[in-house]
Amino acid sequence: MANYDDIPTLKENIDRATVDSVRSLDVDKYKYGFETIIESDMAPKGLSEDTVRFISAKKNEPQWMLDWRLEAYARFLTLSEPTWAKVHYPAIDLQDMYYYAAPKSTPAPTSLDEVDPALLAMYDKLGIPLREREILAGVERPNVAVDAVMDSVSVVTTFREELSKVGIIFCSISEAIREYPEMIQKYLASVVPVSDNYYATLNSAVFTDGSFVYIPKGVRCPMELSTYFRINEKKTGQFERTLIIAEADSYVSYLEGCTAPMRDESQLHAAVVELVAMDNAEIKYSTVQNWYPGDKDGKGGIYNFVTKRGDCRGANSKISWTQVETGSAITWKYPSCILRGDGSRGEFYSIAISNGRQQVDSGTKMIHLGKNTSSRIIAKGIAAGFSDNTYRGQVSAHAKATNARNFTQCDSLLIGDKCGAHTVPYIESRNGTAVFEHEATTSKISDDQMFYCQQRGLSEEDAVALIVNGFVRDVLQHLPMEFMVETQKLIAISLEGSVG
Amino acid sequence: MAIAFPVRLGAAENTLIEQLKSVGADATAERITVAGLPTRRVEAYHYTDLKLLLKAIPPLAQAANEASAPALRIAGAYQLMIANGMIQSHATAPAGVIVGKAAGTALSTRDDVLVHLNGAFARQSLTLTLENSVDTVIQIDRRIEGLAAHAADSVKIFVADGASATIIETFSGSDAAHVGNHATYVALGKDARLTHITVDLSARAVSHFATNEYHVGEGANLRTLVVHAGAGLARTHVFPRYEGTGAHGDITGLNLVSDGQHADITMDALHAVPHTTSQPLFKSIARGRGKSIVQGKLVVARDAQKTDAKFMHQGLMLSDEAEILSKPELEIYADDVVCGHGSTCGKLDEDSMFYLMSRGIPKEEAETMMVRGFLDELVDPIEDEALAEALHGVIDGWLLGK
Repeated sequence: MANYDDIPTLKENIDRATVDSVRSLDVDKYKYGFETIIESDMAPKGLSEDTVRFISAKKNEPQWMLDWRLEAYARFLTLSEPTWAKVHYPAIDLQDMYYYAAPKSTPAPTSLDEVDPALLAMYDKLGIPLREREILAGVERPNVAVDAVMDSVSVVTTFREELSKVGIIFCSISEAIREYPEMIQKYLASVVPVSDNYYATLNSAVFTDGSFVYIPKGVRCPMELSTYFRINEKKTGQFERTLIIAEADSYVSYLEGCTAPMRDESQLHAAVVELVAMDNAEIKYSTVQNWYPGDKDGKGGIYNFVTKRGDCRGANSKISWTQVETGSAITWKYPSCILRGDGSRGEFYSIAISNGRQQVDSGTKMIHLGKNTSSRIIAKGIAAGFSDNTYRGQVSAHAKATNARNFTQCDSLLIGDKCGAHTVPYIESRNGTAVFEHEATTSKISDDQMFYCQQRGLSEEDAVALIVNGFVRDVLQHLPMEFMVETQKLIAISLEGSVG
Repeated sequence: MAIAFPVRLGAAENTLIEQLKSVGADATAERITVAGLPTRRVEAYHYTDLKLLLKAIPPLAQAANEASAPALRIAGAYQLMIANGMIQSHATAPAGVIVGKAAGTALSTRDDVLVHLNGAFARQSLTLTLENSVDTVIQIDRRIEGLAAHAADSVKIFVADGASATIIETFSGSDAAHVGNHATYVALGKDARLTHITVDLSARAVSHFATNEYHVGEGANLRTLVVHAGAGLARTHVFPRYEGTGAHGDITGLNLVSDGQHADITMDALHAVPHTTSQPLFKSIARGRGKSIVQGKLVVARDAQKTDAKFMHQGLMLSDEAEILSKPELEIYADDVVCGHGSTCGKLDEDSMFYLMSRGIPKEEAETMMVRGFLDELVDPIEDEALAEALHGVIDGWLLGK
């Protein structure tokens, strides 16, 4: 058994792995594509009311939760799949997948020693620190609390005790449903209504796990919180549900990462994330999305249909989304902000990189409802190979949103002549005092820039990576330190082989 | 996997189906029966939901036997007139201009309800061929006269290789609640130049729909201007297509909307070949509870390298209740291009207002001056002085006509 005190940190491991994959050009670039053989407890295949009951029973949920799910399922049956996004894929057979898969292990592990070693080895390989350590290799670095979700269950949540000392609740959503029902009843689906859209409704019926975060009034979360999602089993869909509540005057920074094995068939990931920020609270939500993107011919890969929305409920609250999208065969994702509180602020920083046959349709919505609200959108799309990369966003000012301000900049970069970059912003001003600015550009890396870099001895690929990193710098600087280095490497990997 | 729900048809749709059947356009009738009029779910009609906005369709237009005063007089212009869909007699054309008539609509078939309806109802097209440089401004006066009528008309313009011309089309008529469906097809030959202006000056009760299709050939230069300053509901759909190397288009437009009006300019531009350029520029001014919509899509085809296109929309809100909605879109399949779009929206700059007012200019006048300054960019490039003056008249008329 490996010595888990030596688990390399996220950063270190990725550094090494990146260097390796850069060196071995023939090897597939996706380095998280391994599969872990762990015996799993599965739900019967297919979607039905019984599946919903099965999941609810597995999670020992109270009756009200089951009723809530069944109602969502009934609503789901009346909805049809949205077709407005610029993505094309064969019809998803919802009956040909599993809605619940959980690694078989002791019912409720109280410490890491009770967790299946194969599972720990997997996280070891992924570079996720599950051991609570303060000092590694003599270097003091900030702690990151991790909730590790594999397929349909949360495997382990670290640093819970330390967080609970300041009153922060950080646990899996299944646990929260049992332990804090009044909070769940109050906030669940208060930002993304049950029947918000096709995938959100499906998620409401069959969601399995995810994280729950509660930051009490006036508390500044002492460490970064994170959830790491892993799909492992074949033919399973992952339906995660995350709920973060920041009470007045609190602050939290939350990170999310995701990977999946390489398979020929596509798998569905349909998540719902809800954020609630009260007066003067701030939530910073960062994602590095690195699901398996499929092979070079577009075979396999994750279908990522995600609904993420933040509600700036209190005055002067702030929600900031930062996302780096490099994975998934199809991305359909619009992290949004409802700027309800007066003086609230929404931010969206995004880098979406597509290569191979990937299709990205991503963007944001900034809904200005309160007075003196402001929002800022910076989206950078990079398309290479045969991919299509679409920015789709909406900025709207309600009639009562006096002095609403928005600045939007979305730039696209095309690498190669077989890809496409598209921009579809909806700009809706219904208030005379609202000031909106929107800018978008599309271009390619100029020959002059390439010549300049190559003349100074950089290889063609290094030059592209350098220029692209410069192109996305506005967004990168908003990522937490833990993600920055990894992201820069990811950008290099995603674009590798796309030159020319 | 869109599940087709049976569409519930409204009064307007039922009348349309009847009218379509009466002219033998069964395919279009079938289409309306199945899908209804476009709703906001149809992207091109996202902000102009015809199912919601078109409550009733008046009877099909009969030949006009009365005429209202011309809506816009341009000194020295050569006049042509279409009333209730029928081409009227006209004076001898200036040298280099051939006026003719063709059956049916001039538009190309495309998947758009208003284009289909024009195809069904337009009985004839006025054809204009411009053989060389024509200095005289040509005005096509398109009217819907008499009792409320549903009228469709069509114009086909061909500008020969190396030829140039300036054409203005005006839309007006009686005060009744007409529904007008107007079509213009324009083709520019090699190195041709054309300034094409369409101005809606219809009565407030009118629903005005226009489709302008442009084919811009090699080295040709097109300038267009759409002005909505009349109908309660106005929509012009512009389809420029750059088909020859060196083709250039300055597609411009202006929505002037007051309380209760709804004006929509939608552009779908295609850069089909390498080395073409365009600079679409649209402006919106809204007051009262007016609603202005500008949608503009730039599509760059797979091989259309070296395309240089920049879309711009600027909105000016003169009241707190006004709405300005815009959707600029880029759809780009070629990598060696420079494309962009911008859209801004706000009210008059307070500093500039203060500057003018502190120099003794009354508020209203200061506002008018600033709005004029804001719009000069659209009118200034029009070379013919009488025409530019007439357009300034339209803008001033709107500004003063509160």
